[in-house]
Amino acid sequence: MTAAYIALEGGHVLEGRGRAPGTTRGELVFTTAYTGYEESLTDPSYEEQVLTFSYPLIGNYGVREERFESERVHPRAVLARELTDDVASWLEAEGVPAVDHLDTREVVTDIRDSGAMKCGIAVGDDVTPEDAIAELENCIAMSDHTEIGAQVSVDTTTTYGADNDGETVALVDCGVKGSIVTSLLERDATVHVLPHDASVADVEALGPDILFISNGPGDPANYEEAVSLVEAFVDEVPVAGICLGQQIVARALGGETEKMAFGHRGVNQPVMDLESGRVVMTTQNHGYTVSDPGLHLEISQVNVNDNTPEGLVGTDYDVITRQYHPEANPGPHDTLDFFDDVLAMAAPDARAIVADD
Amino acid sequence: MYALRSDEQMSTDHDPGDPGADGRTILLIGSGPIQIGQAAEFDYSGAQACRALQEEGAHVVLVNSNPATIMTDPEMADRVYIEPITTDAIAEIIRKERPDGVIAGLGGQTGLNVTAELAEEGILEKYDVEIMGTPLDTIYATEDRDLFRKRMVKIGQPVPRSTTISLEEGETVADFSEEALGERVEAAVDEVGGLPVIARTTYTLGGSGSGVVEEMDELKERVRTGLRLSRNNEVLITESIAGWVELEYEVMRDADDSCIIICNMENIDPMGIHTGESTVVTPSQVIPDDGHQEMRTAALDVIRELGIQGGCNIQFAWRDDGTPGGEYRVVEVNPRVSRSSALASKATGYPIARVTAKVALGLRLHEIDNEITGETTAAFEPAIDYVVTKVPRWPKDKFEDVDFELGTAMKSTGEAMAIGRTFEESLLKALRSTEYEPSVDWADVSDDDLETEYLEKPTPDRPYAMFEAFDRGYTVEEICDLTGIYEWYAERYEKVADGVVAASEGNFADAAITGRTNAEIATAAGTDVASVEAEVPGRTYKQVDTCAGEFAAQTPYYYSARKSEFEAGPLIGDAAAGELEVDRDVESVVVVGGGPIRIGQGVEFDYCAVHAIQALREIGVDAHVVNNNPETVSTDYDTSDGLFFDPITAEEVADAAEATGADGVMVQFGGQTSVDIGEPLETELERRGLDCRVMGTSVEAMDLAEDRDRFNALMDELGIAQPVGGTATSESEALELAHEIGYPVLVRPSYVLGGRAMRVVHDDDELEHYIEEAVRVSPDKPILVDQFLDGAVELDVDAVADVGASHAPARQTESDAGEDVLIGGIMEHVESAGIHSGDSACMIPPRSLDADTLERVREVTQDIAVALETVGLLNVQLAVKTDDDGETEVYVLEANPRSSRTVPFVSKATGVPIAKLAAKVMAGETLESLGATEQVPDHTSIKEVVLPFDRLPGSDPRLGPEMKSTGEVMGTASTFETAYWKAQQAIGNDISAGTAVVDLEVDGFETFFDLTTVDDVPQAIRDGEVDFLVSDDRDALESAVTEDIPYLSTEASARAYLEALEAFDGDLEVETVTDRPHRVTQWGAR
Repeated sequence: MTAAYIALEGGHVLEGRGRAPGTTRGELVFTTAYTGYEESLTDPSYEEQVLTFSYPLIGNYGVREERFESERVHPRAVLARELTDDVASWLEAEGVPAVDHLDTREVVTDIRDSGAMKCGIAVGDDVTPEDAIAELENCIAMSDHTEIGAQVSVDTTTTYGADNDGETVALVDCGVKGSIVTSLLERDATVHVLPHDASVADVEALGPDILFISNGPGDPANYEEAVSLVEAFVDEVPVAGICLGQQIVARALGGETEKMAFGHRGVNQPVMDLESGRVVMTTQNHGYTVSDPGLHLEISQVNVNDNTPEGLVGTDYDVITRQYHPEANPGPHDTLDFFDDVLAMAAPDARAIVADD
Repeated sequence: MYALRSDEQMSTDHDPGDPGADGRTILLIGSGPIQIGQAAEFDYSGAQACRALQEEGAHVVLVNSNPATIMTDPEMADRVYIEPITTDAIAEIIRKERPDGVIAGLGGQTGLNVTAELAEEGILEKYDVEIMGTPLDTIYATEDRDLFRKRMVKIGQPVPRSTTISLEEGETVADFSEEALGERVEAAVDEVGGLPVIARTTYTLGGSGSGVVEEMDELKERVRTGLRLSRNNEVLITESIAGWVELEYEVMRDADDSCIIICNMENIDPMGIHTGESTVVTPSQVIPDDGHQEMRTAALDVIRELGIQGGCNIQFAWRDDGTPGGEYRVVEVNPRVSRSSALASKATGYPIARVTAKVALGLRLHEIDNEITGETTAAFEPAIDYVVTKVPRWPKDKFEDVDFELGTAMKSTGEAMAIGRTFEESLLKALRSTEYEPSVDWADVSDDDLETEYLEKPTPDRPYAMFEAFDRGYTVEEICDLTGIYEWYAERYEKVADGVVAASEGNFADAAITGRTNAEIATAAGTDVASVEAEVPGRTYKQVDTCAGEFAAQTPYYYSARKSEFEAGPLIGDAAAGELEVDRDVESVVVVGGGPIRIGQGVEFDYCAVHAIQALREIGVDAHVVNNNPETVSTDYDTSDGLFFDPITAEEVADAAEATGADGVMVQFGGQTSVDIGEPLETELERRGLDCRVMGTSVEAMDLAEDRDRFNALMDELGIAQPVGGTATSESEALELAHEIGYPVLVRPSYVLGGRAMRVVHDDDELEHYIEEAVRVSPDKPILVDQFLDGAVELDVDAVADVGASHAPARQTESDAGEDVLIGGIMEHVESAGIHSGDSACMIPPRSLDADTLERVREVTQDIAVALETVGLLNVQLAVKTDDDGETEVYVLEANPRSSRTVPFVSKATGVPIAKLAAKVMAGETLESLGATEQVPDHTSIKEVVLPFDRLPGSDPRLGPEMKSTGEVMGTASTFETAYWKAQQAIGNDISAGTAVVDLEVDGFETFFDLTTVDDVPQAIRDGEVDFLVSDDRDALESAVTEDIPYLSTEASARAYLEALEAFDGDLEVETVTDRPHRVTQWGAR
């Protein structure tokens, strides 16, 4: 059996069963979702992280490409109680180290109590605990990954749905999930997926009806170009954002963001809409949050558990954002109508409706 | 920063800052007796709802006919009525209590049906009683399958094709010729796309009378019966989706339309087997996220369309059709809490009944606390980080004539649930918890038989047959083909089977990791427990927290799980305790529960266990519980100081005792399950060197009471009479003994417990026949031959005593032993000797005993209690026989120093909580220090039983020495007759006019009924010519059972019935349990 060691910040080294070889390091986080492992593993927001599944049995219904959210696996490594052979061989083919036969509940409660932490991982026939410790020593904090956007973004603008009749969306790819693009295409939009560092001129050239900032990994402070785009276009076209996108929009409009202890990762986060009073279940995957929305945004939705902002709406501009993932995949389909709301902002009579708020 | 509060953000008509604000009076209707399809889950949900309503300041009026329930304890509600669940009795309660509203969705199908009837009869309107929570129209829309189908089609949800066969107003089945009925049935089959189809009768419990039908003739027969039984004269014919994956989603919705899924549940057995009969896993394992989310969305859409408020359940069929999410059909909606919601609550920690009750009062989900985390609200979807498996428990051992092939109608009486970190661990823990062993010697089963009888045919034995098949080298693919079980599951069954093989070869780790106990591995490997323990990963405790570890939980709800192979060797101290948050330094006790509900071990023992827990907490002792029945109050997370949801074996109970630092373990309260582990547990506690003992009456005394020879000797010593008898090892010895004793004699095999295969024989022929046909006597398998006390009056006595030195922790020394015996109650059976005490109606107080006899009963009970050094409960079964000379003798049949199934009945009838007194005495108090007194009620209470024959086609409906009943009701009134009549009403066996066949020697029925004599009684019943049957003929009774007409099968019950019918004046004497008068006086004292 292949040896596997996980060195945790604080000095503890865990032993498990190696399922895919390699040595690596990253920020140790967990998700509580029990379906949707294919979607989670291909979610670019997990870049530079080591993903622990709190649900013990992962891989039960196989691996199918049509359920992927991007072209590759993003977490640096995967920890579980039990991985099926299907998912283990997929991870091996992707070069992503994987370990199972771990007491993942202990890992999760450790993260809950100590916060998301650095870790080093070594999996292979000849690896030792020291190999994992060496990886840990080279691990840097998530906010220090200043070039993380480049790791997950497209290099050049790509257009989808060019023949569609609906609105034109400039979607800034900070690590976008495929389902966001699909959700817009399904609503007849034309979607231009731009690199995370696209210039104002790049966007202007497309003449979009909407500027949309995607989800993505890491600290929103490391996405200065995207912040500049929002600043440049907010009084010209409606702006939308999901997850990291909400944080970038907030920073652009004078708000502030902060790192959370261990973030929200799962498919059962309750969000209340402050206007309707209704609670919906949402998919989340974020380690940073908006701590202050600034003067031009107000909070429209909150997390029922910890009161953090889950939705922002512009008071002076046409802006709507979500901290959670309305596109689901994995997770509940309760919030897909967000995309209708986004596209409606660009409709001819939309401004009047927003003004009434 | 945590927990958004509604008063900051929202304005609603509820003010959570003032918890006692709701001053409304709410009527809560229970579900009545335990029956197949409706078990203890409604006591659990009702009890939880009572507490929830009272928390909000509502006044709760409760009615249930089942005395063996926690919900009918006087402190559970403001007004508690143990009365028949009939419109007459409930109308009377409504008249007296004037409730503002009634919650219908918490009392199962019984509660829903009676609420619908109360509305239809205009009673709710007359007294201005609002139906709270889910409206009645919604209930109709889900019960009426055709209506339901139309609603689903309207909102674009896929449903199986379906049509109904119904009777027109005024039409009866008898009006139809074979041909006319046949035409209708054939047309219906065409409409849904041909055979096979599913035929279902609407408005029945647990799918009674429904099933997949392959043959046209069989279908015609089913339709005919179905039309007769259906409340609305309807039978539904549906496209069969047999073989698809069956799933259930538990949904919760509030009046503001916040709507969540609590969990989904996947049936391992494919569609076609009732979910109550299936092995069920939470969460689903084989459904991809897309498919799961599509069904989740469909569930929310459907529940919104129907307007359900509170908890409900929706069932889907799903299959992988090659698309990313697969395809599904909506199968049905249960607009109320159910067996599945009890399971979902226990599986996730989300208290569905509690939230349902609060939603009915108008609260929103985000206004209701999540008690488990203490920092979140009810507006969330639980995340779980373990696998839950439920396995049903069937009464296969009790009904040899019944075919236990599983289908769309329920036959199981209860279920066990287990939690593990892997499916294998969870499955094996669940199977172990059911305490079921197939009565099959696999060595005698050929491969052909294994395939056709045990793998293709779903029966209670199938999981074991799958293990056997893997041992024989069958492949996963073959098993999938034979069983229709999904590959992912079959692979894991194989791993379980392989673990045992490896263990027998000396490699223990895999067997341990798949969930075997050390004792099981030691047996497989032919070694001792210590050698296994040294090599395998130990078990540690994990918490059930509703959130997969995301928040720190406040509630002590635990399960055990093996560590991985990287941490082999026994775990001690903190490592063994895992996530346990109990105070090891305070005095604490582990109470052992009763496991799944089965015939002979019903909800009564959960009642006893819960009372023991409550009593310990009342005297400041921490009480932990080990149990695995998801339907019960004892496994509610706030019943005990530590809930250990685990199998009941000596090893696993010892784990709990060790981890909690318990001072003692109580095994008296959980019925035979807990008593049986007494001895091995004591050995195991000693082996581990724990300062922890089995409390109360010694294990040695419990054994003595079960050992016939030693018990006989003790009775002789005490001068207490017993029926004469002996043991025979051959037929000639048996005949000799019978002649010595004189016929009739009672015969039974000595190696079988609990009345099984017991019979009364009247002559040599019958005895020879019994030996040849039934038991085959031999020196290894002797039979017992006893004097049968023909015509004797049987009695049950429940008592509490403190006459021994309890192994009570800390506070007790030898000198503290008390010397008192408190009699809880003396019960007289309605049926005479020869019928199992659990199947006989009985009354409290007795009506046919004179003062001398009662005094002797007291004396005998006291003498036995003292002789057994009883600390805790004692049940004594007696027979009183007056001989030809007029001499009356009190015989002892059995004495059991532990809780009995009559404990709750006695407590409800007398107001004396004997299980609580027992637990306190066992913990070191004395009856004197507790100030306990005996009470004799002025009114008569009758306990009447409910029998499962209608659910078990082919079963023999005659009563005998083997227990067959599943549950009980209680009727109380100032006279025996009225009380008896109320008990008959409560079981729906009250008929006072019509055409009757009376085949027993009881005169007087002619006053009320048109008596008829026919040659072929069963046929006359099937032809609808008979309304009432009084007979002990098996065929006639079976016919009465299938045609659902009232019947009486013994002379004793027929006489009592007649007395009641003659005396009943229409006054139901409806009263709360606490308002009924008692005298503080001793039973049998002069």
